[in-house]
Amino acid sequence: MKQTRRDFIKTNAIAATAAMAGVSIPGINGVMAEEQKDDLRWDKAACRYCGTGCSVLMGVNKEGKVVASQGDPDAPVNRGLNCIKGYFLPKILYGKDRLTQPLLRKKDGKYDKNGDFEPVSWDEAFKTMAEKWVAARKKGPKGVGMFGSGQWTVWEGYAASKLMKAGFRTNSLEPNARHCMASAVAAFIRGFGMDEPMGCYDDLEHADTFVLWGANMAEMHPILWSRLTDTRLTKPGCQVHVLSTYEHRCFELSDNSMVFEPQTDLAIANYIANYIIQNKAYNQAFIDKNVNFTQAETDIGYGLRDDHPLEKAAKNVKTAGKLTPISFEEYAKSVEPYTLEYTAKLSKVPAAQLEAMAKQYADPNRKVSSYWTMGMNQHTRGTWINGLVYNIHLLMGKISEPGNSPFSLTGQPSACGTAREVGTFTHRLPADLVTKKDAHCKFAEKVWKLPEGTIPRANGKLGDDDAAPDQTDISGKPMGPTLIHAVAMHRALKGGKMNCFWVMCNNNLQAAANFNDESWPGWRNPDNFITVSDPYPTVSAQGADLVLPTAMWIEKEGAYGNAERRTQFWRQQTKAPGESRSDVWQIMEFAKYIKAEDVWDAALLEKAPEYAGKTLYDILYANGVVDKFPVEQVTDDRGNQYDNDESAHFGYYVQKGLFEEYRLFNSAEGMPKKGHEMAEFGAYHKARGLRWPVIDGKETLWRYREGYDPHVAAGEGVKFYGFPDGKAKIISAPYEPAAEAPDQDYDLWLCTGRVLEHWHSGSMTRRVPELYRAVPDALVYMHPNDAKKRKLRDGSEVKVVSRRGEIVSRVETRGRNRPPEGLVFVPWFDAGRLINKVTLDQTCPISKETDYKKCAVKVVKA
Amino acid sequence: MNICGILVHAHPEGFDAVRERLLGIAGVEVHGISEEGRAVVTLEEDDEDRLAESMLAIQKLEGVLSASLIYHHNEDDN
Repeated sequence: MKQTRRDFIKTNAIAATAAMAGVSIPGINGVMAEEQKDDLRWDKAACRYCGTGCSVLMGVNKEGKVVASQGDPDAPVNRGLNCIKGYFLPKILYGKDRLTQPLLRKKDGKYDKNGDFEPVSWDEAFKTMAEKWVAARKKGPKGVGMFGSGQWTVWEGYAASKLMKAGFRTNSLEPNARHCMASAVAAFIRGFGMDEPMGCYDDLEHADTFVLWGANMAEMHPILWSRLTDTRLTKPGCQVHVLSTYEHRCFELSDNSMVFEPQTDLAIANYIANYIIQNKAYNQAFIDKNVNFTQAETDIGYGLRDDHPLEKAAKNVKTAGKLTPISFEEYAKSVEPYTLEYTAKLSKVPAAQLEAMAKQYADPNRKVSSYWTMGMNQHTRGTWINGLVYNIHLLMGKISEPGNSPFSLTGQPSACGTAREVGTFTHRLPADLVTKKDAHCKFAEKVWKLPEGTIPRANGKLGDDDAAPDQTDISGKPMGPTLIHAVAMHRALKGGKMNCFWVMCNNNLQAAANFNDESWPGWRNPDNFITVSDPYPTVSAQGADLVLPTAMWIEKEGAYGNAERRTQFWRQQTKAPGESRSDVWQIMEFAKYIKAEDVWDAALLEKAPEYAGKTLYDILYANGVVDKFPVEQVTDDRGNQYDNDESAHFGYYVQKGLFEEYRLFNSAEGMPKKGHEMAEFGAYHKARGLRWPVIDGKETLWRYREGYDPHVAAGEGVKFYGFPDGKAKIISAPYEPAAEAPDQDYDLWLCTGRVLEHWHSGSMTRRVPELYRAVPDALVYMHPNDAKKRKLRDGSEVKVVSRRGEIVSRVETRGRNRPPEGLVFVPWFDAGRLINKVTLDQTCPISKETDYKKCAVKVVKA
Repeated sequence: MNICGILVHAHPEGFDAVRERLLGIAGVEVHGISEEGRAVVTLEEDDEDRLAESMLAIQKLEGVLSASLIYHHNEDDN
């Protein structure tokens, strides 16, 4: 019988899937498609969405349009797998409402905050913006601010950090990663003196027991979940324990499903530590050699405004981050109250289930990997709870080796690579350096060829101690304290302290908590000029005064760093529409509109007279380092040629220059911190990513352990070299209640989160017709009894009301998420139902990360 | 023409029921199942919207632990 084309394709589909599944199917002899005759050019890229960092192959047709995608079979992360969002990747580039021209609010031919958007040239856009920025910067370092992204490519974050910290001399730079990763970072720095996980995804095959702390990996990290599932189904005795505040898709696989009362994860973690100590299961030799014990400051408030009653009542707001050394005995005593009975009662998790989980951690013969994401990070005690899980692993010595891994997953594709490693936070500089250390600032100034004292120190002084001389400023006043975190930026905009704000590569107006009382009034304050760079007219773009159209993802050459320290590059595979330009182009081009004299004071310029009359572009980018590499024809190993629009515009290999300068922070003589080494630029275009530290071309899978990490010498065993004494910290911290628990008036917990089909605020996935139609609106997931009590049925239209605002949506009682009585879950992707009108702008007082998972609401018929 | 190859994970002991549910989705065929609970599934659906709906339906099906797209081919029939 003649085989039809359809049969042939189908045979290929079966063969490819069977090969992946390890199944042999009669009649299918594993013949893969003959050499692809689809006339497409296929090239690798790191996926645009989440922090997993899957590699995808993108197919571009002869006309230069991206028409197809597939999981990259050669990628160690996803091994040819792809999730549903990945399949629709080509379509995120081609939404009908793609922005193609700069848009400025105008009336009568002039900029007017109350005007309508009119198309303008890039030149007019930047001239208008420069005028506003120079005036605002004259007020002080907090007069201007930039809100960037964990979706920026590595060099975009790096160029932005330079523009703000060195050019504008301001630390008002934050990434949206503040809202998703800051607690993880704070805990890494406190516990290990160095950011990012010690383990890697290979742990997914090595562990005997998996514990999910609040993470819904099945929907949020589907490819990692499929690897975990495979291990659970194929490895005898493997167990999966899931902790969550509501039932979700992971419960299908789970061996021990635990729904706990919000905030009691603090008690649960301490109970496990107590169990380990009471049963003397801890690894004494490991503790003696590798661990210091400390006590966290307690009663530290909730990161609300100073005049909030909860802040006034808290004793230790000012010293929230303080740690005090204690003994093992004192630590043991601090977790003693967390008995099984007490914890079971508080958390509402049956005692037998808690104990079953504790036994997994306490069994020296079981390899345990713990995974978490926003459930633990978006938490008013986020830094604590991250640390409490490290405590468990450290007590047992179950860390830094295959299968024994406390692992903080990320939500954004380059939360690690850009926001954290480049350091686009207010307090950070590249490679874990910080602005509160004068020596770190001096090193950065040397790398960047700047006069000493250019970079604003956290304390605004030319030295670590407060008696040091003030840094001088264009305002004519001393620089003063310079740090300002994301939530504080919105407060400063509302109060008029910050007047210019540039939001790039994220949807901050939709994403930030307490829209009605903080974000919206700040953005629309008549004194303020807000710029938003985005490919699409998001909620943020619509709330801006100037909108800049962005060339996204594979419309430019890029690099992302994923959650397992893997840095991945891609080439520019297609052209951006209209006049849209990449973020790196926008940052560098805008720098041409600002002169040193506009933002640097005379005293600083005297130290570097060669910069007089120069633009920030000249000083920061045409500095002999960034512009060192000539334009070259980008070519892959099959001979295909690619454009590079930035290089063509600026006249040198922009991405290479920025990356190689960035790499000096990891390699230059006198660098303050080792351990972040990366390979040279060209190596990443060849590899499917490399996990840092990369030494002599070799990546590192498990850090801090001899035999895996080149920084640990023979005979040292384990060495947490982020601290001078080589020891990690176990940090005791108690259970403290949430900021706003349900009461008589607002009787339900509200937890916000995500769904499989939509990525974050939906600015891309809601423009894919299939994904939009599959999940068009955010629903209110509710327990049937709670619905019944309120005389509501599935599909009833309801209002979700808090003390700050309300949204209208529909009730879902039988969906994929099943909350317990007393809690509702609402996803936040929906621009038509802004759940952040309802949420509270509470943060972890240490990490300043917002808690979107806990506030009190009522649900009433609409 | 739209043809997908999808790797579906399910508990081996409950796979018969899962297979029945999978076959309830239009365009789905189950070609083989490993002892460990990995199934080779194809989905044929020429309408793009319905294809997306069916893929999501597989993902959300009771008993399905995870579903990953391995292969997708889309071409005009003429």
